[in-house]
Amino acid sequence: MLRCCVRFLVFCFLGLLVLMVFALQGFVVWGSSGDDAVARLGEADDALGRAFVAVSGAEDAGADVSGLLVRLNVASGLYSSAEVALQNGNYTLAVERASDCVGLADGVFGDAGVLRGMALDAAAGWWRVVIFSVVGACVFVGVLTGVWVYAKRRYSGHVLGLKPEVTG
Amino acid sequence: MSGLQNIKGVFMVVGLVGVLLFAWPSLGLIVHLPVGEQFSELYILGPGHMASDYPFNVVTGVDYLVYVGVGNHLGSSAYYEWNVKLLNWTEPLPNSTAATPSPLPRLYGYRVFLADNETREDTLTFSFSFLNVTSAENITTVGSLTINGAAYNVDKSCVWDPVYNGTYSRLLVELWLYNASQGALAYHNRFVDLILNMTAGS
Repeated sequence: MLRCCVRFLVFCFLGLLVLMVFALQGFVVWGSSGDDAVARLGEADDALGRAFVAVSGAEDAGADVSGLLVRLNVASGLYSSAEVALQNGNYTLAVERASDCVGLADGVFGDAGVLRGMALDAAAGWWRVVIFSVVGACVFVGVLTGVWVYAKRRYSGHVLGLKPEVTG
Repeated sequence: MSGLQNIKGVFMVVGLVGVLLFAWPSLGLIVHLPVGEQFSELYILGPGHMASDYPFNVVTGVDYLVYVGVGNHLGSSAYYEWNVKLLNWTEPLPNSTAATPSPLPRLYGYRVFLADNETREDTLTFSFSFLNVTSAENITTVGSLTINGAAYNVDKSCVWDPVYNGTYSRLLVELWLYNASQGALAYHNRFVDLILNMTAGS
């Protein structure tokens, strides 16, 4: 009986310990090592490169990427802060800034993809532009010719309707 | 009939201009204007945003401010990094012919993303800590260099130069450009440097 109670207590203690570890993970910010910071900075470096390639792709497709470049510069500022923090031995701050940089760069990557798709869709409608030009030019020339014919008739009618005037 | 001829001329000019205006969007799809010369800028300005009053005689513990400017004229957006290195008088500068950077390790780097024809200036604040100044051997040893708040142990010896009467070092700024095919930043064959005299007041 006593053995059963001891087993039960040990089981409860271990269970409580596991629960506490899981609960603490949500509240405790664990300190970061230099290796963590270096690894996170590497990820940030990759994310910046990936985002820039996506932005270049969107620009090549004809999208306006000025807003994305502003956000990339914010991300690069975070990257720089992370590097400074790493150099000064503040690994937790370095990981934090590098993570923010990755988040921002990944957001730019996603938005660049959307912008590229929109730009490609707009470029695929090039035939609308050509139709607008051809139809617009034809209508304009037609209207102008009509106005010219009307004005010419009125002018001719006006000249032919004049009565000769004898002077002297 | 000269009046009718004049009106006819006006109608023809208006017609021509109108047709060109309607054709303009389509011409934009076909005609591409030639791109001008493609290049990147890298420059350093003094603390007053002018090409003057550059730091020269440096002493321990004083913050010096300059501005590093990068300009993009490559015809599309670009991803740059400017890197700072500290060289003594005998260490090699980048090789412009071979387009290779200085072999010394980079201390500080700052990345910028620029649209075409955009220029950006950022601050570069630096200060030195001299380990010792050996007057007998005329050597100044730079213990640490702090750039924009990041401290670097450099431990670099600068020897007295009898020709120019000073103990000189160079604060070198190199420009690197992101190469999408390599997936990495690569040296862009542009650099500027500040020559600093490490003896005064130290």
